[in-house]
Amino acid sequence: MDFKIRKRELAEEFSPMITKSSYLLKAWIILLVTVILIGLYAFYLQVKNGHGVTGMRDNVVWGVYIINFIFFVGLSYSGAFISGILHFFQTPWKNSVSRIVEIMTVLSLIVGPIFILLCIGRLDRLYFLFLYPRVQSPITWDIVAIMTDLFGCFLYLYLTFIPDFAILRDNDVKNMPQWRKKLYTFLAIGYQDTPEQRRRLHKITGIMSTMIIAMAIVAYTVLAWIFSLTVQPGWNSTIFAPYFIIAGLYSGIGVIIIAMYLIRKYFKLDRYIRKAHFVGAGIILLVISLLFGYFTFSDYFSKWFSHKINDINLLDTLFSKYFWEFIFANYIGVLVPIIIIFFRKLRSIKSITFAAVIAVLGLWLNRYLIVVPTLETPFLPIQDTRPEYIHYTATWIEWSLSFAGIAAFILFFILIMKLVPIVPMSGIIDHERAPKIKPKILTQIHKQ
Amino acid sequence: MKAVFIRYSVFVCLIGLFISTSAAQEVDASNYRMYFKFKTIKQPDNSRLLEVSFVGRNKKDRKVSIPVFDAEINFYNTLNDEEVLLGSSKTSKEGIAQLVVPKNQKYLIDEGGNINLKARFDGTDVLDEEESEIAIKNLFLDLNLAEIDSVKTVTVKAYLLDSIGNQIPVDEAYINIYIQGMLAKMKIKDGTIKNGKFEYAFATNIPGDSNGNITFLAMIEDSDDFGYVTQKNTIDWGVMNKRANDSEHKLWSKAGPIWMYVVLTFLLVGVWANYIYTIVNLFKIKRESTTTATIE
Repeated sequence: MDFKIRKRELAEEFSPMITKSSYLLKAWIILLVTVILIGLYAFYLQVKNGHGVTGMRDNVVWGVYIINFIFFVGLSYSGAFISGILHFFQTPWKNSVSRIVEIMTVLSLIVGPIFILLCIGRLDRLYFLFLYPRVQSPITWDIVAIMTDLFGCFLYLYLTFIPDFAILRDNDVKNMPQWRKKLYTFLAIGYQDTPEQRRRLHKITGIMSTMIIAMAIVAYTVLAWIFSLTVQPGWNSTIFAPYFIIAGLYSGIGVIIIAMYLIRKYFKLDRYIRKAHFVGAGIILLVISLLFGYFTFSDYFSKWFSHKINDINLLDTLFSKYFWEFIFANYIGVLVPIIIIFFRKLRSIKSITFAAVIAVLGLWLNRYLIVVPTLETPFLPIQDTRPEYIHYTATWIEWSLSFAGIAAFILFFILIMKLVPIVPMSGIIDHERAPKIKPKILTQIHKQ
Repeated sequence: MKAVFIRYSVFVCLIGLFISTSAAQEVDASNYRMYFKFKTIKQPDNSRLLEVSFVGRNKKDRKVSIPVFDAEINFYNTLNDEEVLLGSSKTSKEGIAQLVVPKNQKYLIDEGGNINLKARFDGTDVLDEEESEIAIKNLFLDLNLAEIDSVKTVTVKAYLLDSIGNQIPVDEAYINIYIQGMLAKMKIKDGTIKNGKFEYAFATNIPGDSNGNITFLAMIEDSDDFGYVTQKNTIDWGVMNKRANDSEHKLWSKAGPIWMYVVLTFLLVGVWANYIYTIVNLFKIKRESTTTATIE
């Protein structure tokens, strides 16, 4: 096979995805930008008027911002973990989903920490964190871990993009502006797909994929320790670190399935993202949901059985004020995906995506129930405090900024998809170049 | 009158017992076997405490015992048929009667050098007469605390006095050394007195009280020859425990633990070294493309 011709074919096949934009997509982008602008206005109000415009008060000092932070960072770490696993084990069907995972990893790691900045009352003192870091503080570890991880993920994402940049540079794609050609030439760093370059790129990509698995575990563990190293009821738990990692994977798989569904539908990639991919991802979601359910049960059961007064107070709050949220997060959010995916007859692309949506919503609520009720049931009740200082309700400012974060995530995702094809062309070439040892394995070139 | 009072007190005690243990039905003191124990304790100031423990123990259930309250006990120093009343005492609610005989008391001493002491309860209409006798030698203990060659040394001298006041060292007496605590005493050494002396080097890791003082108690206990003999002494040998290191496990300490610096440094250096390695390889890829282009 002449791979130069094949590369041209692929470039032509995927070029409409990166050069043309449908009206629907443009409308989406306008909507997302609007949401972001509303969020920026809310941010302006928050900076101008202080944190009084949020629902955060003396007791509940962390609200939906920190929940979004944990959620997005969890997405990122799970993305890094899954991406590393896909590369490390050379999973046969990885090519169709690997780029979705990699983009999700980097974008969520950009969006997530922004929520931490929204949480900080005195942003003008932010540089103190770098001027006066305290090594013994998990928050300092977290900053170092996030920055290191962000750099690593960017580097990793870039490594996987290089061969595609080279293909787009070498093949004249219709309607591609000149500045794009120059950009691809610059980003491809002269990659010619020679055996030596290919070997070198595969080697460093392989090392990076291994390393980011470990980094994801370490970094998310540190994030879990921010909670579990305190003695707060509900947080001071030895299983919090593995629990967070499982929870991160749970949400990560869920978001990947949702992204696969939307991308498949709107970019018409049925040939590349097939039902088997959804079933495969669904099975992983099933396994993780079982693990997540087990960890959740274990965590709450030990709290209930210990009969410690503060833990009992927390459980009382969860089963009274947050009853439905608790049921949704820890029962529906776990059991519905299990039931849908466990039975073969229920496994369809839509049902698996529905299960993923339920899992992601349940997990976000689970994060909410970890953060807010604990802060509402402190060890020492504050005397003469107002009820609204004890109980937390997010304001429109917080919701706007939360939705702005989600909108930014989706917008950046779309923009990156306009830069490189969402299905790596180089991956298809590599697959076709490799000797066929197992003809029955699932690949994107087999017809559905 | 006295007998009526004792009978009444025993009856009240028994009734109280029966109320608290509903299974018991006995109301008669005859169901109780009386235990009359007499001992003498020579105290640090050389006075002598005479003590009687007077309790009734249920004949069927020996775990159930009740003290005999307000029973008058007479204490005697005896020699052959001669009895010298040392004093009287009534039993407390715990059934304990105590009498302190001053250190200058002149005792009758038999040919063997023993002081014979007797405690007697004369009996009532419901309780029989009880009597117990002990014979002990008048042992003296000196407890010396001194640093010998920079070693904190505890020395106990044990001796008897003959008729003209000469010290006669005792041998083969078992002694315990305690340190007085706030609520109880703590045994730190035991051994046998040889040639009237017992000596050992004191540990240097005992904190003592807030001023660093340690109270030592040298005690011979339940000896057939000497009964109970106690001596005590106090000295500032306490070594205050070092204060726990404040810097451990605190976010506000000046520095983190060394392991944390080591682990974090290894992790970060490892990760960033890999980044540098990756970037170097990217440059090599770029250089290879230049070389390839030149060759072509």
